Amino acid sequence: MIAQLALNGLITGMIIALPAVALTLIFSILKFPNFAIGGMLTAGAYLAWVFNTLAGLPLIAAATAAALAFSAIMVTSDRLVFRPLRDRGPITLLVASMGLSFILENVCRLFFGNLARNFDIPISRPYRVAGLRINPEQITTAIVTLLAMLAVYLILRHTALGRAMRAVADNPSLAAARGIDRDRTILWTWVLAATLTALAGVLIGMDRAIDPMMGWSYIITIFAAAILGGLGSPVGAVLGALAVGLVQEMSVLVIEPQYRQAVSFVAIALLLLFRPQGLMGQVRIAR
Amino acid sequence: MIAYLVTILTLVSIAAILALALNLQWGLCGMVNFGIVGFFALGAYTAALLAMAGTGPVIATFGAMLVCAVAGALVALLSLRLAEEYLAIVTLGFGEIVRLVTLNEGWLTGGALGLPGIPRPFFDLVPAGSYDVYFLGLCLLVLAAVFLGLERLARSPFGRLVRSVREDDVVAATLGKNVVRTRVIAFAIGSAVTAIAGALHAFFFSYIDPSQFTPIVSAYAFMAVIAGGRGSNRGILLGACTVMVLLEGSRFLKDFVDILDSDQLAAVRLILIGLGLILFLIFRPQGFGREPRLSAARLVGDATTPSPATGPIPGPTPDPALAPVTAKEGDLHGTCQPSRLVRAAASDR
Repeated sequence: MIAQLALNGLITGMIIALPAVALTLIFSILKFPNFAIGGMLTAGAYLAWVFNTLAGLPLIAAATAAALAFSAIMVTSDRLVFRPLRDRGPITLLVASMGLSFILENVCRLFFGNLARNFDIPISRPYRVAGLRINPEQITTAIVTLLAMLAVYLILRHTALGRAMRAVADNPSLAAARGIDRDRTILWTWVLAATLTALAGVLIGMDRAIDPMMGWSYIITIFAAAILGGLGSPVGAVLGALAVGLVQEMSVLVIEPQYRQAVSFVAIALLLLFRPQGLMGQVRIAR
Repeated sequence: MIAYLVTILTLVSIAAILALALNLQWGLCGMVNFGIVGFFALGAYTAALLAMAGTGPVIATFGAMLVCAVAGALVALLSLRLAEEYLAIVTLGFGEIVRLVTLNEGWLTGGALGLPGIPRPFFDLVPAGSYDVYFLGLCLLVLAAVFLGLERLARSPFGRLVRSVREDDVVAATLGKNVVRTRVIAFAIGSAVTAIAGALHAFFFSYIDPSQFTPIVSAYAFMAVIAGGRGSNRGILLGACTVMVLLEGSRFLKDFVDILDSDQLAAVRLILIGLGLILFLIFRPQGFGREPRLSAARLVGDATTPSPATGPIPGPTPDPALAPVTAKEGDLHGTCQPSRLVRAAASDR
């Protein structure tokens, strides 16, 4: 029972890790907490659903198409919404991102209604390994997230884009002085973030179902993971996501399952009280 | 038609109280409260439960205010060790917790079925049949009291302190002000005012359930505050009226537009709010109204210098009136440096 919960928790954590890393990347480069992350998750999942069921693409192709299309959407949104507000401070940007979240989520609701949707994939039987039930979806999730994390790591560590992103995150003016194009870096950050959230949307849609509230129900968990990791450290975000996922699933041993989501909130609260820089984050001097 | 108008006006005044509360927290103090719907629900449920226990509406409302103020103070305390951004997620989480509790603790809140039969205040005192009109009067009275109270608060030394914390907490701290205490008190007062709105909501419908307290309530309040102009209580009244009339009025649209069902209409409304928020932030961050600000010229006592409070908001260009203020008035005005306040008008908060 405990091993089963731990397994489920790890898989949940892996799914959460994708948007948590996206949130962290946007926070380090654009310097605001992006509350549109929930709406982004929903919109990405619906895009994949459209490509999958309406256009009849297999799920892998649909997910790729959705990631591309959604990257374009987010780059456009950045141009229209966040670029004019770039230097107005984090509070303005976070309220604007909430506005964007309303738009993304409700465009989905407007076109597809409140009903839950499912991808066009065959229902498969769970495998039984050493007394554990493992769904094929969980294996897919593990493989996809590990590959995605590896890709993000390689991009950040070993490409010119990654160096530029780390430079802008560290010190925007110094990066600008060294000739790094901030707008181009921001554009690729959005592409990366949109791809990660769209993938997470697809994985959640496979695991459960797609409905307009799906992003909303994950937003606190995602933030908990990113804050746990110290907001700004991608590795921290992954570890934070795994921890939040594990604790959230294991919590059903102690509390009623309806309150699973409350666990994330309690995690945020305790963390802010006792270790505000996050588990992995470094102490930074507040303004 | 009259009945409809009365209902709309009642809803507008409740929304206006909610928006005034958010204005104190976000507009004056810069604390983003995405969980305002949680405090609204907490206030409504507390007032309803107390009233149903037979305490009478007045004590029920004060009880709700107390509970919300304590909850608000705790929530604000949680996130104050870090930058303001964290408050946004903590409040969002608080709203979610309140929703989960109202939904799952059936013994207390009736769960998804809600609480029916909340006693209506002073129902026996007014002639039967015209109760709604009297209730509207009550709402308007409460709104007026809240408005005057908050307006007075905004102009009091504490109000100046709150705004100085919003503009630059480091400067406020340097001047010996207790930033954390200021934020906690401002947030608690805002939460108490939110509880008034919640109590009125519960009394008006005499039935509450979790589906009445969705994030759309927060969205309305934010839209009202941004449209009305952050910091300006008068602007907020106008903003709340406009937002509510436009959005509630769109119910009429349903009779003309057959292609949209009610779910889709709700979606369109939220899309409009999202667009409105973003457009206002980009093109008119000061909203319809403008926050009354100290004018440098008035402080110096020189009527001939152009006053930044009446002219357009000063840009980054140096204002000639600023120099003498910093020199002469910095120590006279203990609460905050006037030059800082006026100069900060240019930057966004």
